[in-house]
Amino acid sequence: MSELARSEPLPAAPIRIPRETRSRAWTFLYVLLFLVILIQSGLVVQARPGELLTGAAGMADILSRAFPPDFSQFPQQLWPAFETVDIALFGTIFGVAIAFPLAILAARNTTPAAVLYHAARGVIAVCRSVPDLIWALLFVTAVGLGPFPGALAISVHSVGMLGRLLAEVIEDMDMGPFEALATTGASRLQIFSHAVVPTVLPSLLGIALYRLDENIRASLVLGFVGAGGIGFQLLTAMNLFQYRTVSLLLIMMFVLVIGAERLSAALRKRLA
Amino acid sequence: MGEALPEAPGTATIQADRLVMRYAGGRLALHGVSLAVRRGELVVVLGANGSGKSTLLRIIAGIVKPTEGTARVAGREITGLTGRALADARMATGMIFQHANLVKRRSVLANVLCGTLGRNRSLATALGVLPPGEVPHAMRCLADVGLHEFAAQRAGTLSGGQAQRAAIARALAQRPLALLADEPVASLDPDATAQVMRLLRHVAADEGMAVLCVLHQPELARRYADRILGLRQGVLAFAARPDETTDAAIDALYEGAPR
Repeated sequence: MSELARSEPLPAAPIRIPRETRSRAWTFLYVLLFLVILIQSGLVVQARPGELLTGAAGMADILSRAFPPDFSQFPQQLWPAFETVDIALFGTIFGVAIAFPLAILAARNTTPAAVLYHAARGVIAVCRSVPDLIWALLFVTAVGLGPFPGALAISVHSVGMLGRLLAEVIEDMDMGPFEALATTGASRLQIFSHAVVPTVLPSLLGIALYRLDENIRASLVLGFVGAGGIGFQLLTAMNLFQYRTVSLLLIMMFVLVIGAERLSAALRKRLA
Repeated sequence: MGEALPEAPGTATIQADRLVMRYAGGRLALHGVSLAVRRGELVVVLGANGSGKSTLLRIIAGIVKPTEGTARVAGREITGLTGRALADARMATGMIFQHANLVKRRSVLANVLCGTLGRNRSLATALGVLPPGEVPHAMRCLADVGLHEFAAQRAGTLSGGQAQRAAIARALAQRPLALLADEPVASLDPDATAQVMRLLRHVAADEGMAVLCVLHQPELARRYADRILGLRQGVLAFAARPDETTDAAIDALYEGAPR
């Protein structure tokens, strides 16, 4: 009977199973590769979980010394906090001011020449790929310590992200009004200010607000390289072992970051 | 540039001579098309998709350059100009499109005022300020198309027909001698279509412009045009008054072409 069952008509084309066994081999290879990558990174960073455990006592010690936060310091830390916010504001405003003209050159539909397109794309890429901390170090050597190099660093690094996003917005824009104004005999600059700018303005503001939120976080860190603001206070307090001041500053940072995030989100919602 | 360009007597406002357009791929869009539109005349171009009628209009508007031939508006050659000279020459030609192409976030009045930018070149207008001296003129243009009550409204809130009329007002604000219309009623309902076509008639008959309009609908051409030009595969198949245009001649335009 089994002979008969086997002689049942089979599908015309042979069933191809090898594909699956091949993919199983690949899966094994991928898992192996992932493990190799994981293990080598553990070795390179010299991961020692044991020390994390023994170090827990030290951390608990620092935490206890940081408590309660020294709120009497609050009034004198207000100015650095204000500085931090203003570094971000300055950086964002000038970032937009530089990024917008660059974005017009870096958008395929509005660029006047291929050379300018590639040049603008290049400038934007350099601004983005060099981290803001490196820009801050460069500007500290150029203009000295203080909030100004921080503000410059944030401007330049913002151009990288703002320029790319704005160029995308311009490329997605409806070209109808652009063409209509061109046929009225308006000059190139008039076409930009009367057709392109009003069309992309809401997106531009939204992107700028989003960037402001990111810049406030960036400006907190920039203090570590001597670029002023609350980050610099944090560094100083750490070096002087004033852990209660450190905890106050951390709370202030937390409030600033969450506040900026909420405010930026709320304003962007109103724009939409 | 003055308000009214002098027109040599006996010459047509829009004049195209033996226009040839060959696209980069080698496709021939226009094959020696000549035409003339006098002031006060509404001429409609009919043709199937790909017959070259939009290309014809875009050459006369100075948006694309023909491979051969010349196009003149008000005696001034458009083909071959670039940059500032082209922008200056374009001021004599108003153009409306299938879509109104308004800046939706700005007011209707601001959009109409944009039509006057060409003759108001200054640092202020380059930076986005609208010429305040042109407001009365822009309001008159809006009244002309029956939209003066909508002046302060955002352009994005207008209906399709209203938006197209606002676009016509913007073209009128330019004080052009010629008006080009590229399928201006293709996305409008019958009522709005009739309003826009009557406006084009009015602009030609009462304001003395030369109007060249590309259409898809033979019945509209019959009803509103002074002359009908039939374009077929880049060649002018016929040019006749509406009452002389036969159904057979129109049907022939669409033969073998996807309608």
